[in-house]
Amino acid sequence: MKTGSFRHFSIGVWTICWKDIKLYYAKGPIVVTGVLFPLFLWAAFYMGRGLDFNEGLASLVTLSIFFTSSSVTPIIAPWETRQRTLEMLVSRPVTVTTILVGDILASTIFGLIFIIPIFLCGVVLGAIPSNVLLAALLTVITAVGFSSLGVLFSALPTDTPADVVLLASTVKLPLIFVSGVLIPLSQLPEWALAIAVVSPLTYPTDLLRGLYIGNTFFPMFADFSATVILTVVFTLGALILHKRTLFARLQKR
Amino acid sequence: MKAIDALDLYKRFGSIVAVDSVSFQVEEGEIFGLLGPNGAGKTTTIRMLTGILKPDRGEARIMGYNIRKDPVKARMLIGVVPEEANPYPDLSAWDNLMLVGRLYGLPKHTVEDRASSLLRLLDLYDARKRRAGNLSKGMRQKLLVAMALIGEPKVLFLDEPTSGLDVLSARKIRGLILDLKKNGDTILLTTHNVEEAGTLCDRILIINGGRVIEMGTPEDLRIKSGLYTYVSVTLNRAVDEKDAAKFFDEWDYRIQDSRILFVCSDPTKLMVRIVEYAKAKGLDIVNISTAPPSLEDVFVKVIAGG
Repeated sequence: MKTGSFRHFSIGVWTICWKDIKLYYAKGPIVVTGVLFPLFLWAAFYMGRGLDFNEGLASLVTLSIFFTSSSVTPIIAPWETRQRTLEMLVSRPVTVTTILVGDILASTIFGLIFIIPIFLCGVVLGAIPSNVLLAALLTVITAVGFSSLGVLFSALPTDTPADVVLLASTVKLPLIFVSGVLIPLSQLPEWALAIAVVSPLTYPTDLLRGLYIGNTFFPMFADFSATVILTVVFTLGALILHKRTLFARLQKR
Repeated sequence: MKAIDALDLYKRFGSIVAVDSVSFQVEEGEIFGLLGPNGAGKTTTIRMLTGILKPDRGEARIMGYNIRKDPVKARMLIGVVPEEANPYPDLSAWDNLMLVGRLYGLPKHTVEDRASSLLRLLDLYDARKRRAGNLSKGMRQKLLVAMALIGEPKVLFLDEPTSGLDVLSARKIRGLILDLKKNGDTILLTTHNVEEAGTLCDRILIINGGRVIEMGTPEDLRIKSGLYTYVSVTLNRAVDEKDAAKFFDEWDYRIQDSRILFVCSDPTKLMVRIVEYAKAKGLDIVNISTAPPSLEDVFVKVIAGG
């Protein structure tokens, strides 16, 4: 097998993805953190308030992707550092890029799997996006972006998962209140809107809402571009930071 | 091309210099031992050679590939049994092997075939479906050996491979190491077991406080240590004291009828003199035996600096 070939890379990526799914995703507790939590959070905001179902569905989709795609990736690196399995992995002929792309892929697949029932419920109840292909593409890109965001958090060179969970929660939880997910952007005060502009959750939420109800706060092209750019930034940022912190992480052990 | 080329490796952790300008080369097909007390720098050296740790200074090459600049190419040729790393405890032994095998880019059926062979060789086949976390220490260690071998490496790094193993398992691993050598593979192993190093290794490097103290074959180390060797020679007739004095005046010896007992630091020179003596006096050498210092004696002397 020629090292550095795309085939070697893709086998490595799928192998890491398989490992992550087997170890981290095919587990009951993930359903709580990745699925039930956003569902009940969304229900707390939407039930009994007479809000438009389509708009609510769009919010639920982005909220679910946000949580499901970034619930596990923050803890993989610190957990495997602590277990001393990361060192075992890194001593094999794989690059950091291969490992991280595998982690992102597993998280994206997991995120998308749990979104499908929500979309299907929407279809059954008559909520269908105006452009199904664009909605699907947006969902995939968003899942990759939030998975990469989770991996970015885990670049912190620690072997204590709680450290990374604290960092991730400190960033993620406030964002859901200022990104138009639970409270529409048009109803946010100015100071919150200023934060919404830099939130990665804002743009996919706004665009998906637009595909369901017909209007967006920002231009659709801007929403889509921002989603793509933020996905690229998070992915590259995760790769660069992990390459810098890997040795510090292993050295501490 | 050397199998392993370590050049001026240096590593500091805060104020502690863990490895201080360590250099050595290992030929292809050699079993090379790193021997030293706890905290000597053996594991840090191996981690730098396998690319897990970045040296502060120096360079490591595996089969000509710089481990820092061409890590994937170098790691395609190596297998590692680390002292401080684990298989995935929540994956079965089989799944751990499949994971590692696939990372070498091997086709699935090849990995399956090799995994089966290795598990049978190491008496782990019946436990292949058990979670690695539920295996005993010895079985986990054997699993790590299997995981190191699945890529059919040219160079194998074994960090305390028999540590914690029962006698039978340790013997099996040693046998496997010798079989790999016959196959032309290169092995670098660290061990606390001095006699194991003496038995297995072609050459040994003794390291202490991060520095190379001595390096050589086990025999060279014994000779260099200056420790005494006991030599006993039995001749076919009683030995004349005056004749013996003329030949052996530079050595300590005792005559017991036809037997002479020597204590010396250079048995090679003594052997030559014994043959000259026997020839000159028309004597036959019935028996000659040596009791060299043990490698443990050598190690203690070298480490203690005495």
